[in-house]
Amino acid sequence: MIDEGRPLFLQIAEQVEDSVVGGSLVDGDRAPSTNELAAFYRINPATAAKGINVLVDRGILVKRRGIGMFVADGARARLRDERRAVFADRFIQPLLVEARALGLTPDELAQLVRDRAASDHTDDRPEGTER
Amino acid sequence: MTVIDVTGLTKRYRDTLALDRVDLTFAENTIYGLLGRNGAGKTTLMSIITGQNLATSGDVRVYGQDPYENPAVLRRMCFVRESQKYPDDATPRHALRMARLFFPRWDQDLADDLVAQFRLPMTKTIKKLSRGQLSMVGVIIGLASRAELTFFDEPYLGLDATARQIFYDRLLEDYAEHPRTVVLSSHLIDEVANLIERVVLLDRGSVLLDEETDAVRDRATTVVGEAAAVDAFVAGREVLHREGLGRVASVTVFGALTAADRSTLRTAGLETSPVSLQQLVVRLTQQSADAPASSEGVPR
Amino acid sequence: MNRTLNVARMQLVNKQTFVWVPALVLVGALAVTLAVYAILRSSGITGDTPFYGGGAQAPLWYFAVVGAQALTLTFPFSQAMSVSRREFFAGTLLIALATSAALALAFVAGGLVEEATGGWGMNGYFFKLDWLWTAGPVVAGLFYLALAMLFFIVGFAGATVYKRFGPVALTAVILGVLVILVAALWLVGALDAWQTVFGTIADAGPIGLTLAIAALVVVLAGVSFPVLRRATP
Repeated sequence: MIDEGRPLFLQIAEQVEDSVVGGSLVDGDRAPSTNELAAFYRINPATAAKGINVLVDRGILVKRRGIGMFVADGARARLRDERRAVFADRFIQPLLVEARALGLTPDELAQLVRDRAASDHTDDRPEGTER
Repeated sequence: MTVIDVTGLTKRYRDTLALDRVDLTFAENTIYGLLGRNGAGKTTLMSIITGQNLATSGDVRVYGQDPYENPAVLRRMCFVRESQKYPDDATPRHALRMARLFFPRWDQDLADDLVAQFRLPMTKTIKKLSRGQLSMVGVIIGLASRAELTFFDEPYLGLDATARQIFYDRLLEDYAEHPRTVVLSSHLIDEVANLIERVVLLDRGSVLLDEETDAVRDRATTVVGEAAAVDAFVAGREVLHREGLGRVASVTVFGALTAADRSTLRTAGLETSPVSLQQLVVRLTQQSADAPASSEGVPR
Repeated sequence: MNRTLNVARMQLVNKQTFVWVPALVLVGALAVTLAVYAILRSSGITGDTPFYGGGAQAPLWYFAVVGAQALTLTFPFSQAMSVSRREFFAGTLLIALATSAALALAFVAGGLVEEATGGWGMNGYFFKLDWLWTAGPVVAGLFYLALAMLFFIVGFAGATVYKRFGPVALTAVILGVLVILVAALWLVGALDAWQTVFGTIADAGPIGLTLAIAALVVVLAGVSFPVLRRATP
């Protein structure tokens, strides 16, 4: 969950962002407090605080005076947009590199993507449906 | 705000220089990791700051005063030693009762809670306790004292992994509620890496590192791949460590990687792996052992 | 003052050292002495000559051990409790005074019993040494107090030197003291001054002797504090 290479506070911020993007933290929800994050990840509260500050700076979290930290309105939408913008670099590029190494053409790659997406949807369907 | 100011601190024993003109400051409400090999000077440093040992030369100011024989300052500190001697007939109950008398911010509820969690036998004489249980006594005193400056010198000796986790969890939990300055010396660096805000690395009496943990984290990277390609990439960089297995080389270099670097690596088919704090500390102290003694410290 | 009292309490954690063993030594010496007296009486020695035994010394010599242990067993822990060396010194002297007073009380009580029973009914004395009691039981008690403190502080001072400077230094100090003592004794002999010495002591009486011992205690305490000041746990 936590890797060695990057600053801890950034990873914490990302984990919170993941929750927002994934929908477990909804716009307007109360965000986890510094101490809660510290206890959950077993890290120093100061590091957790830095992570939260990053999110506040980026406008993902807002501080409501006297009440606490909350997920900003439109945070999820904005994060999604941001991530879509880098999606190609983060995920597609490595995919292409690996595919090239294995000798797969872009068309073959595209077909694999379509097939896998279809079978995933099949798994989502109610019970009793055969592949 | 600085609470401990160490300037030019030197401690010389008959034929060893335990501390060599050390300059350090410690701020309030921060958890420090005091790292280094055995004999690096960690215990000496902590015992001089707490007025238990005496400096050969140099200056230590705690809350602006000399801590030596200074009860007003002493009672704001707690030093948990790695092997503490207790009065012969003392039981943990005695020790904790004594601690309650001497530490003004002592929290008895916390102490009772910890005793229960560690399952520490209270009426057995400390002499007869196991090494782990002896450590537990120290850990409980250190945590429940709520001293504004708390020093733990390898407090985990003899504690199994579960007990150590209890210690780390309770330390963080209590620290979040009652922030103070904690200095934790440890050899189990990766275990404490996420707890400590700053790293102070000592080696043979000198300070090798004194930085925020996060800053240290991306200080080094390991590059792995085909030996010639790796060597080409690391040319001109500060190499911390090199390993080879056949045609594959693994080289740890200093310095963070830029986006351009990453792209170069990708093209060359090289992989990177992160360097954990423990690995970095080990490499740095190895490097220091190999190189002649220098006063410049570690390059950025 | 509070912390000083707490140091005294800290010392008392070692009940064996401060309470049980001295009590045991005292009771044991008394028992052995009385047994010897009883045997002697029953073997026919008449009850006219009073018996005096040296057994009462035993707990006093043990107080030197108590003094040493007060340092070795408790000093490191006091440092861990963030207690200053001065607080530790004061608290330890306090407990020394308290235990010496307890011992002195036992001696006085025992002496009064011996007075009342005519030497345990055997004209045999353990506690009540006539010369000491010439100024009354209170002075005798103060004498025992001072003597016990002296043994304590000697043990404490020795242990402090050991802690600070090591075994070699302690041996050197002990040898030095012995040399001085022997030299003093030789000097007295050379000047043929034994009569003067004994006369002075006799003139001083128990009060004078008590004061002299007390002075010695103060000197030793004064010497051991600076040594303690730079000792490390």
